[in-house]
Amino acid sequence: MLSRVAENLYWLGRYLERVENIARMARVEHDVMLESGQEIWHSLVSTTASNQLFWDTLIETPELTHSEFLIYSMQNPASLRSTLVRARELARGLREHISREVWEEINALYLFLALRKEYIANDIHEFCTETQRRTQTILGLYDNTVLRDEGREWFRCGMYLERADMTSRIIDAKYHILLPGEDAVGGAFDRFQWMAVLRSASAREAYRRMGNNEVDGVQVAQLLIFSQEFPRSLAFCVQALQRHCQLATFQTPNRRRAAAQRGIALLHLDLGATDMDQLIDDGLHEFLDDFQQRLSEIDRAITDNVFRAEPDAGQAQRQSQRTLEPNAKIDQG
Amino acid sequence: MANELLRDYQAAGSSDDEMFDEAGGFRTDYQDLGQTLQGWTLEEHLQREERADLSLLSAGITFNVYSEEEGTERIFPFSLIPRVIGAQEWSQIEAGLKQRLRALNLFLLDVYGDQRIIKERVIPSEIVLGSPGYLPEMAGFQPPLGIYAHIAGCDLVRDKQRGMVVLEDNLRTPSGVSYVLENRTVMLRVVPELFPRQGVRAVTDYPNQLLGTLLSVSPADSTDQPRAVLLTPGIYNSAYFEHSFLSNQMGIPLVEGSDLTVGDDDFVYLRSTTGLERVDVVYRRIDDDFLDPEAYRPDSMLGVPGLMRAYLKGHVSLVNAPGAGVADDKVVYRWVPEIIRFYLDEDPILPNVDTYSPLIASELDHIRAHARDLVIKPANASGGYGVLIGEQASSAELEDTLAQVEAEPRNWIAQPLLQFSSIPTFDGEQLKPRRADLRPFVLSGRETWVIPGGLTRVALREGSYIVNSSQGGGSKDTWVLNEEPA
Repeated sequence: MLSRVAENLYWLGRYLERVENIARMARVEHDVMLESGQEIWHSLVSTTASNQLFWDTLIETPELTHSEFLIYSMQNPASLRSTLVRARELARGLREHISREVWEEINALYLFLALRKEYIANDIHEFCTETQRRTQTILGLYDNTVLRDEGREWFRCGMYLERADMTSRIIDAKYHILLPGEDAVGGAFDRFQWMAVLRSASAREAYRRMGNNEVDGVQVAQLLIFSQEFPRSLAFCVQALQRHCQLATFQTPNRRRAAAQRGIALLHLDLGATDMDQLIDDGLHEFLDDFQQRLSEIDRAITDNVFRAEPDAGQAQRQSQRTLEPNAKIDQG
Repeated sequence: MANELLRDYQAAGSSDDEMFDEAGGFRTDYQDLGQTLQGWTLEEHLQREERADLSLLSAGITFNVYSEEEGTERIFPFSLIPRVIGAQEWSQIEAGLKQRLRALNLFLLDVYGDQRIIKERVIPSEIVLGSPGYLPEMAGFQPPLGIYAHIAGCDLVRDKQRGMVVLEDNLRTPSGVSYVLENRTVMLRVVPELFPRQGVRAVTDYPNQLLGTLLSVSPADSTDQPRAVLLTPGIYNSAYFEHSFLSNQMGIPLVEGSDLTVGDDDFVYLRSTTGLERVDVVYRRIDDDFLDPEAYRPDSMLGVPGLMRAYLKGHVSLVNAPGAGVADDKVVYRWVPEIIRFYLDEDPILPNVDTYSPLIASELDHIRAHARDLVIKPANASGGYGVLIGEQASSAELEDTLAQVEAEPRNWIAQPLLQFSSIPTFDGEQLKPRRADLRPFVLSGRETWVIPGGLTRVALREGSYIVNSSQGGGSKDTWVLNEEPA
């Protein structure tokens, strides 16, 4: 498979997953804000890692709100809209690798967003619900209409890597309320917050079905980090990433795939070798920080060694000029 | 109930209309279509136009407009009432196009070979060798099967006096064929009831024919499983949709310049996740200038360094061949009838438009004397840019252009303003006569094949003669009837 195509499919998977996560988090935050009366959007902006940019942008556009910045602003490269525009641009360049159904649904989502001329705060709930529904439709269609070849495995790699990253950020944003504190006895407000974390990760039903009667911060973290069954947990995503990366690089020469596969395997082993008690002792935030760090190393190993490896010895060396350099545009802030 | 749309249109009377004859009756080929249309109310017509647009927009069948902000996309405005061509007339057009392309390919082979046509003084040497499309490095090179212009798009218009005439040839990277296929898909979906009893010729075979043509010119030393790729400038190119569409239809990789590399062995390879894979045929949709930064524009980021080297060694085939542009030069066009007679010893089946070249003294005089009745065109621009229509120009514009013509006679031609035919086109409220051309696509490999019909482009502004999509033109489906109406 063409290296550029593989790389772009990987990023399409990442971006679509990111769109869905931002929409879900924004919807939950919106509800929480309405019920609690507290403005908590800023924590979401830090979840998507663009705090500094928000304050910089605010200088030029003082009326900008956190929610508009997160969802609608094109000045924020990590906003839902920016991400979707990039996903759609990638999809345009990948039309012969995705099915017509998938393309038309991505295009329809783009048109749904593009046709909204201005940002309306009261529409957040409806808007995010619709975006989330459409993104899930795309992911479902992808699974059922696209050829199960190498490209699909790269798409999945991107999707699971992004999901692992996003779930870890959702936990990280609330880690202080998840851990048992001195005065915390599981008051109503804490339960409310924990529920919000679960909803942010689409995990409320899963949490109940896992037999948890009490809503308890440590149990919530346990589910989101270690569950083998819950498809958004860190453990589940890393395992899926490992499987799809193996399938994607099945024919790739060893020396090109080794770094990425090693990184994923070690992350998988380390997750299996620890538990919640250990994390509380060592520091949950430090653990999540390290986790995100390792994901970005895996991303770099895939990019540098698989997608952008120099041609084999004896072949002409030339510089690679790309139409899109998704890598240069993300993870800002 | 009679349809007020058609009634008003008929009443307005258009003397050179494709659908109606001078007496206001339907022409034979349009009878079935016209009768169905008459049964529609204005609302029904409107609804279907909207459904067609929506269908194109949601499918993302769009093109980029260079003059606007980067990445601006529009749908190519689509107009529901098709152009209809009878079976008999079509067989004439088809024969004319095959003849023309046979002759043009022989001309190219000669220009880069013995140059008999110059030696025998059929065409002045400075016109051929002075064409910006002429590439000296191709001299002496013989491409597989001796073909340069594998894919051609010839623009035809119907002139009141002479019938179908060739307005220009596009022999480099003609575009628009994807709209032919997509327009048909939309018509079948949105207005199945319009299709006539005897049916219309299918256009879906184009991708198969194209792939066959590409593979038929593989280099002699390629394997029995030659690999073709489509080379695109990328997603910001105005024709990107088409590149993606065609590669998808043919099942060949769509590549950008950076996806290809030329090895030390001067073969062309594709960069894949598993290593390098050899490429035999490149259907390139980028201009000669940008093909290879080593050979041409060093600032080109679209091309592949070393591609010309590989090509001239016969290790890869380029479609169309570099240098084919010398034969679609608008000045060379003036000599195409002579070219047909010279190589084939036949009279042209499809006539040219009378064309005056200021390089010839008597023709320059004619241009000066009749500038108001002429269209003055730059010889080497496309997309309808820089065209001056004498009757619509201000005196200052006219004088300015004539000065340029005299200063650089090689760069200009002049033609009479053709009153080419119109087809009813809905402008949102009414049906209006809008002038239309026709671009059939001709494939030359082991055999020559013409797509039945082609792209009908229509000028959407009143009175306009410019049908190019970049200047607000639209398109229509083109129906070649399976047989003559009973």
